[in-house]
Amino acid sequence: MKKYLLFLVSSLFVTSVAFAADSQIWGDMRLEDILGYGQAESTKLGPLFTMLQSNYFAKAFLVVLVGVPLVFLIHYLIIGPKVFSHDGKKIYAFSLLARVIHQIAAISFMVLVPSGFIMVFGSTFGGGEFVRMMKDLHGLATIPFAIVVIPMFVIWVKDMFIHWDDIKWLMIVGGYLSRKKNPVPAGKFNAGQKTWYWLATLGGVVMVLTGASMYFMDFDIAMLREITGLSQIDILRAAAIIHNIVGVLITALFFVHIYMAVFAIKGAVNGIITGYKEEEEVKILHSSWYKKLKKQGKI
Amino acid sequence: MGELARMKFYCDDQRCIDCDGCSVACAEAHELPTGVSRRKVITLNEGIFGKEFSTSVACMHCTDAPCEQVCPVDCFYIREDGIVLHDKEICIGCGYCLYACPFGAPQFPRDGAFGTKGAMDKCTMCAGGPEETNSAKERELYGQNRISEGKVPVCAAMCSTKALLVGDGQAIADIYRKRVASRGHGVQSSPYGWGSAYGK
Repeated sequence: MKKYLLFLVSSLFVTSVAFAADSQIWGDMRLEDILGYGQAESTKLGPLFTMLQSNYFAKAFLVVLVGVPLVFLIHYLIIGPKVFSHDGKKIYAFSLLARVIHQIAAISFMVLVPSGFIMVFGSTFGGGEFVRMMKDLHGLATIPFAIVVIPMFVIWVKDMFIHWDDIKWLMIVGGYLSRKKNPVPAGKFNAGQKTWYWLATLGGVVMVLTGASMYFMDFDIAMLREITGLSQIDILRAAAIIHNIVGVLITALFFVHIYMAVFAIKGAVNGIITGYKEEEEVKILHSSWYKKLKKQGKI
Repeated sequence: MGELARMKFYCDDQRCIDCDGCSVACAEAHELPTGVSRRKVITLNEGIFGKEFSTSVACMHCTDAPCEQVCPVDCFYIREDGIVLHDKEICIGCGYCLYACPFGAPQFPRDGAFGTKGAMDKCTMCAGGPEETNSAKERELYGQNRISEGKVPVCAAMCSTKALLVGDGQAIADIYRKRVASRGHGVQSSPYGWGSAYGK
């Protein structure tokens, strides 16, 4: 952990030192970038970014912002939430460390997602001081997330690999299309949670790196240009494209995650707060894990 | 300039002598902070006989400006004469305009201890910004507004070899054609950079 923090701090220091060096954007590279823009042999990332940003990114975010909650509203009204007894026995599911790490990431997300949306729809908010403040908040909230994302990956990775249950779970969409309380095939984490885990951790790292590139902009890391074979400006263009696409996916699943924890399974959010899940909830929604715990004599 | 003037820049790389005068004149006229050069002279193929050339680059004030298309806060506006300007009080310094720009024109002065990017700065073709024309605020944020006084933008006004031209696109194209004809050998069919900036 200490080493990890040291690495974070030192890498920030290295990038800030790099500012002093010759600009990779407005220096001698600039003319080559101009001559290459949109040419047949170039990466065409400039025109691609322009096309995507002016036509699609904001629309995709709008679809997520309106579409996902709308689907859930319909689900809630037609099928309704799953309600499990909160008076029965509890099953210890999340250690204190896991909960602390999750809560830090959760709080970061609660800042990152709304501030990101406000930037995407910046013209609606008139730009200026307010949106600028959101941009700074977006950057600040990245710091706690960047610190916990790898520990979060490590503590849960052993439970996240694909399993036969996941295929079965996907076939019945986790049992969420039915009101019946039939046991659903899933281990400690179901296929939906696993998908969210991989996207939030690996995708989260991608978001941190692409976001930091855009934030620091004129940094000079020769290795990055050599590995990617891109000029600095093309690295930034690629970062913006990736950040928006992964951002759309993460926000969509983030909404799913919140709906499940808060609305679809009544009181499920308590599990990550207290560490204990309701026995009936585990028995139905994580039936394979329940059987395993029973076999081990843990319940 | 007639009624339908469409303002364009053109730098003749056969005449540009890499004196950097345009860049210095611009920085001084607009009192730009160090680290920001709205106009820059770049030399390519340095030392390679017959291939070396210098040219002066800044915002080209493009037709259908890509910066204006990608700005998430819509801080750009395009004047009737084609000059592309932006409102620094709306700009959030995200950098998207730079990613879209074919000319690397938008720049971001760093302010604050954490290297936060400030509002974008770029060439205004000496036409100021959205503030009251020739007000102290306009001058502070965007530099001189020479166009409003009927003056040529300072970079082109001082160019000693008249490599850098600015004005109505039609007039510029006529000068370009005359120069190409007088040189009497094959040169590209339209001024350098015009394909990207103004379309074919």
